[in-house]
Amino acid sequence: MKLRIWIGLLGLGILAGLITTFRIHTEGFVVYAKTDVLAWTLPLATYIFFSLTSAGLAFVSSIPIVLGLKRFEVIEKRTIFLEFSVLIGSFVCLILHLGSPLKVIYFLLSPNLTSPLWWIGTLYTIYFIIIVTAFWQRHTARTSRTLGILIFLIAIATSTTLGWLMGMTDARPLLNPSFLIMYFPLTAFVCGMAALLLFSLATAYFSNKEISPEKNDLYNELARIMGITAGLVLILFLWRSIIGGVSSTAYEYSTFRHMIGSISYNTELWLGMLLPCVLMLARSIRITGWGKIVASASLLIGMLAGRMELILSGLVRPLGQMAEGRPEFVTYMPSLSEVYVVLFGLSVILLIYTIGERYLKLEELPE
Amino acid sequence: MSRYAMVIDLQRCVGCSSCSISCRTENNVSEGIYWSHKRTETVGTFPNVRFHYLPTLCNHCENAPCVRGCPTNAMHKLDNGITMHDSKKCIGCRYCMINCPYGVIHFNWKDPHSFWRGKEAVLKGGTSSPVEENRAVGGKIMPYYNPEREETFSGIRPKGVVEKCTFCDHRVKKGKLPRCVESCPADARIFGDLDDPKSDVNKLIGKFRPFRLKESLGTKPKVFYIRDFSSASYPKTKGGI
Repeated sequence: MKLRIWIGLLGLGILAGLITTFRIHTEGFVVYAKTDVLAWTLPLATYIFFSLTSAGLAFVSSIPIVLGLKRFEVIEKRTIFLEFSVLIGSFVCLILHLGSPLKVIYFLLSPNLTSPLWWIGTLYTIYFIIIVTAFWQRHTARTSRTLGILIFLIAIATSTTLGWLMGMTDARPLLNPSFLIMYFPLTAFVCGMAALLLFSLATAYFSNKEISPEKNDLYNELARIMGITAGLVLILFLWRSIIGGVSSTAYEYSTFRHMIGSISYNTELWLGMLLPCVLMLARSIRITGWGKIVASASLLIGMLAGRMELILSGLVRPLGQMAEGRPEFVTYMPSLSEVYVVLFGLSVILLIYTIGERYLKLEELPE
Repeated sequence: MSRYAMVIDLQRCVGCSSCSISCRTENNVSEGIYWSHKRTETVGTFPNVRFHYLPTLCNHCENAPCVRGCPTNAMHKLDNGITMHDSKKCIGCRYCMINCPYGVIHFNWKDPHSFWRGKEAVLKGGTSSPVEENRAVGGKIMPYYNPEREETFSGIRPKGVVEKCTFCDHRVKKGKLPRCVESCPADARIFGDLDDPKSDVNKLIGKFRPFRLKESLGTKPKVFYIRDFSSASYPKTKGGI
């Protein structure tokens, strides 16, 4: 009965997404809260969030092979499957961001190697193939060392190339490459851990399964690393705010000062970093299931807001002739259709995960 | 091979927007999209105020960030230096819009020329619908459709792709001037070849002190601005405390 309600809810999310897809096809992107100034909005921010979370999960899944910590093998299969699910969800959001997604064939027919976007498309395609192969290998026997290392390397490549994508925009210095090259992999890692903890604990809770002491210790260890990493991200984030927002006098950086008061900035700071860091560094809270669930959920919500904040900080000040007849800063509030895109991506992830949980023995240990 | 550029003489420009209007009709530009536009700025405190007007268009940068960033080469450079776009290859990622420092690239968020797709009469019982009117004059989507545009580019760009000024490459190819240059009543726009030392653009660039937009970014724009219009004068003064 519980499962039917769950599948029904996911079906509703997917239905909302399909209706949005149809509306985009017939009416165009007017269903989004778009302007030529805000050319990238919530669907792209969600794509970045999901794709980086998937890369973060890749870091976690490669721990047994890259770092040689064999005790992490018990969560390896679930992590790889989650990587796959989240990556599919990111593709859903990306497709609904692109104006003409069917033309991606030109990535092959007319490649531009100077474009970070081309590299991202290529790397994520390779990444997808590697994950599918790795999962199949893990499902039938054990992940090979080569594949495990490849997953780790591709996760570094994808997360840092996303930094290049943003940072190449010289006219928008707020999308600072040197900052993002560190910030993206680090936040990817912390999101990966949060997603794994949240999905694993929620699965155990809803299926009334007892968590073994061995696994519980592992989750506590992960939660501690998550808290420490959230703290590191917080330090990086605060320095970005100070250097880019408070101490800089450059005209372009006034946008950042403007963003510091925004909802997305504060959600990222308080929910995405401070709260999970404090909760997971307090041992009495960390060892509880609810503590880990609250911290992980809070971190993921905060990081999604953070991806939005990052994009907006580069776009809210209109450039060049786009400034004609517009205020110094434009405002953004997502439309209902954009929220449906997020729900669509999330529902797809959860549906794939639910199917995997039911039929693919995600708890299985390697042979 | 030519290397085309434009000089805009701000002393001659009166801000009549003839360039923008003629560009729209020449290139079948849809509402909400501006291949040729302007920046206006009011400075000073009343009663000492002044109104500035700066015509804008794609700068056809030599180091075009939009071209470097386009994943499918939809945005590309022609041999003559014009930054060109291919709608067929455009995936609608809008990375060029994010990369362009000048804000001159627009996206077709919906089907273009939506007014002319209307099936209801503007005045019921009084006028025909836009679709009927268009059909009556034999237009393609809209009555004033210019078929020459489709010689080198999509005649009308579809929903889901970007578009921008092409220096009227289809006209330049036939030895004609870009439409905005031809239609300027004040001859404020001067078009020519930078590789020809005797061209008018080179004469003007050499004679006056030109500036280009956001030169510090290293994009090497091909639109040069010269002079400035000011009819004002002031009595000689050293100011005071």
